Amino acid sequence: MVAVPSDTALASGTDEAPRSLAQRIWTPIRRNPTIFAGALLLTILVSLAILAPWISPDPLKQNTINRLRPPSEKFWFGTDQFGRDNFARTLHGARVSLIVGITVAAISAVIGLALGILCGYFRRVDAIVMRIMDGIMAIPSILLAIALITLTRPGLGIVIVAIVIPEVPRVVRVVRSVVLSIRAQPYIESAIAGGTKGFKLLVRHILPNTLAPLIVQATFICAAGMLIEAGLSFLGAGVPLEIPSWGNIIAQGRSFFLRAPWCIFIPGAFLALTVLAVNLLGDGLRDRLDPRLARRM
Amino acid sequence: MSILSVRDLATHFHTRDGVTRAVDGVSFDLAAGETLGIVGESGCGKSVTALSIMRLIPPETARITPGSVVEFEGRELTRLSEEQMREIRGKSISMIFQEPMTSLNPVLTVGTQIAENVWRHTGIDKRQARERAKEMLDLVGIADSQRRLDEYPHQLSGGMRQRVMIAIALSCDPRVLIADEPTTALDVTIQAQILDLMLELKEKLGTAIIMITHDLGVVAETTQRVVVMYAGRKVEEAPVGELFARPLHPYTHGLMRAIPRLDIDAETAGRRPRLKEIPGMVPRLDKPIMGCAFAPRCDFATERCRVEAPPLEDHGKGHLAACWEVARVQTVAA
Amino acid sequence: MSDAPSLEVRDLVKHFPIHSGLLQRRTGAVKAVDGVSFAIRRGETLGLVGESGCGKSTVGKTVLKLIEPTAGRILLDGEDVTTLSPGRMWHHRRRIQTVFQDPYSSMNPRLKVGTIVGEPLENFGIASGKEKDELVAKLLQRVGMRPDAMNRFTHEFSGGQRQRLGIAKALAVNPDVIVADEPVSALDVSVQAQVLNLMIDLQDEYKLAYLFISHDLAVMRHISHRIAVMYLGRIVELTDKRTLFSLPMHPYTEALLSAAPVPDPSKKKARRVIVQGDVPSPAKPPPGCHFHTRCPYALPKCKVEVPPLIEVAPGHHVACLRRPVGASPESLTTTA
Repeated sequence: MVAVPSDTALASGTDEAPRSLAQRIWTPIRRNPTIFAGALLLTILVSLAILAPWISPDPLKQNTINRLRPPSEKFWFGTDQFGRDNFARTLHGARVSLIVGITVAAISAVIGLALGILCGYFRRVDAIVMRIMDGIMAIPSILLAIALITLTRPGLGIVIVAIVIPEVPRVVRVVRSVVLSIRAQPYIESAIAGGTKGFKLLVRHILPNTLAPLIVQATFICAAGMLIEAGLSFLGAGVPLEIPSWGNIIAQGRSFFLRAPWCIFIPGAFLALTVLAVNLLGDGLRDRLDPRLARRM
Repeated sequence: MSILSVRDLATHFHTRDGVTRAVDGVSFDLAAGETLGIVGESGCGKSVTALSIMRLIPPETARITPGSVVEFEGRELTRLSEEQMREIRGKSISMIFQEPMTSLNPVLTVGTQIAENVWRHTGIDKRQARERAKEMLDLVGIADSQRRLDEYPHQLSGGMRQRVMIAIALSCDPRVLIADEPTTALDVTIQAQILDLMLELKEKLGTAIIMITHDLGVVAETTQRVVVMYAGRKVEEAPVGELFARPLHPYTHGLMRAIPRLDIDAETAGRRPRLKEIPGMVPRLDKPIMGCAFAPRCDFATERCRVEAPPLEDHGKGHLAACWEVARVQTVAA
Repeated sequence: MSDAPSLEVRDLVKHFPIHSGLLQRRTGAVKAVDGVSFAIRRGETLGLVGESGCGKSTVGKTVLKLIEPTAGRILLDGEDVTTLSPGRMWHHRRRIQTVFQDPYSSMNPRLKVGTIVGEPLENFGIASGKEKDELVAKLLQRVGMRPDAMNRFTHEFSGGQRQRLGIAKALAVNPDVIVADEPVSALDVSVQAQVLNLMIDLQDEYKLAYLFISHDLAVMRHISHRIAVMYLGRIVELTDKRTLFSLPMHPYTEALLSAAPVPDPSKKKARRVIVQGDVPSPAKPPPGCHFHTRCPYALPKCKVEVPPLIEVAPGHHVACLRRPVGASPESLTTTA
């Protein structure tokens, strides 16, 4: 806005009066409600997943007397058709979902970052890699996963690989465009004129700028990864049945849907909540880390 | 006879970090057919003054404080409804901006954009409006106007776009044209063309112009009277010749010595002279300013300047200045 | 120290290819710089003036070897650096530094001032660690900043202060030449004066050669010793400052001078020489003399013949067909 001289506006914060503890905690929350809501929800879910072995019984222990029991004081989330405790299974399922989500996000981010930087730097590589990426993006991820799993043994690893492959191009695109725009910045020319060479230029001036969009993209991939994993497991092409995952639980509960709807609804609700938490966090971070949007905050 | 009269205009921006007093009590009059310059550096409030007159300030953050008066042909603009204001904008008071590309709609042809302004305000039919659009393009000196009507803004050069903006602004024969840095984005030779065009049209149509600029050269060549702003306040006002011959406020005085001169060979014995520096920088507007806003940068400042804000005083020949030390400034300037 | 000019440029050409169509075939070229020659001595400022698109910034970037020239030669202290690879060029970067137009975008917003200003010191192994900090502190003081600025981020400073930081960075490696591309045009008038004064002081102190690129003739008149006027990739006039302002010989120079507004209402010009029309696109410059489409004095031959840059008087070079050697300036216009 023309009105506020940028010098003065930006200089604020240097000589502000010290604020009270309550204010220091409350102000950032008030300014970024989505980040905090997402982070809080996610923290709870991650803690539950980590603590699952200690706070819940064995998710595989069958108890044929207590088949398909509705939620009660003893079985908070009811039991399934083998009398296994759904509370335990849901919490352990959270571990699978989060492991898949986080691993997928991490691997795609690392591969995508490397390829993106290569593309942003070398025009020849760019032309080839980007065409390959376009090709990969044209493959439906569920079909690719089913194909891969039919070719090999089902397992957590192969599920992760199957989800990573189609997600990588999304990261590459984001990183590449950031690298291209940063390379056009005058401060890059200024650094080159000041004698800054290749690797240092990359690490000091270019890489830090790619991190914010990369983190944001990674949260969205994490959410997508969890959804795809659940979908694959539901279709029987994902995590082996002996490992409780939300997709598996829902798939098994499907036949008893009318008698025992809790078998589907509870893990379904957890899946939705986790994805929501990750997306909230991602949305909040995007608004916060995008300088064009952040300036208005 | 003044057609636009601004009294104690104050526009404050309310942000999380507090209140920024972008314009803080500015008054001036604009006579019919006159060219008034408003000059100052970035952040002095000159653009916000213009936007406040037009009521184009962002409603989420900016407030024109109660007590501000903008009277145009007997109507109090700050009290009008948004509906009534829309009637005035583009018809009675028009505005052109620094960057013509962002003020033109990229997906509409030039002809449509001019014609739209005409039929919205006058209600003549679209064919006549298009006729008028062609007339306007001829008026602003765009050759081959019939063909240009159907072109899009990106097909035009920067200078031509500014001509189109002027054509839109003048299409309903406004009484007042507010030009906010109209030539700052243009090259020198194009700037000269646009300034000449504006002055020529002013003579032809009798439109009064408020010329907002940071460029003392543009002020000297185009305006009749000048308001100098600093930190949201008017610090000096005078007829243009008087202002340049006898600047009374230390800020104006300093500015005139700070600019390198195109027209004067200032070298002595091959040594390049030092320009007069104004030390420091403009004050922050998000805190109330004690005394004179310019005092911390002023060579003439005394203890009094730091605590008591100087009132605008008339020093004859329509020359107003807000400074306690006018007498001392004058002896140095002379 | 040799007698060679600090920076010399001979017949510099930079064409940017235009690719179009589905296959991105090369369909033409923007002749941004089309045969430019000049030399700058130690302690001298050469002003490069012209309107947007005339190629003045491209000249600056090319002599810095931030972009590769298409043809011509660039000599730093007499040494040819034209065809050096980026790796070999690195050894010469200490001699030629730059100050950018936009102090906001020419510094990495994520880094502290100490890191930015000290980066060249580190790069060339001049100093590191504590020693570097001490040098940076000295540099900051030299450009009129407090040494504790080192630990702050660039966004905490105003435009003028940032431009001082940019100058400190350029000075860090003790260069011979500084290319300053519109260093004051983003600044407010009162701050402009501070930066111009600083640049003049530093030049006198370190005998720096400046290639000062600007569109602002008043700034040029203040800081330059000699001025080259560019139009669509070519120098049309090159002479010392006093001559340029008193006896301009090229019609374009004359037009530029008369178009610039003068801050003195008593000198309101009766009728200035206003050139009509816009600057043609550098992708399709007019044949012959590029200026003939806007020139009030154009002859038929101006449309076909490219005027060479001729020394019409000692040190005064003009590229105009109406300007034979030894002609007096009055023969061009009735009033000088």
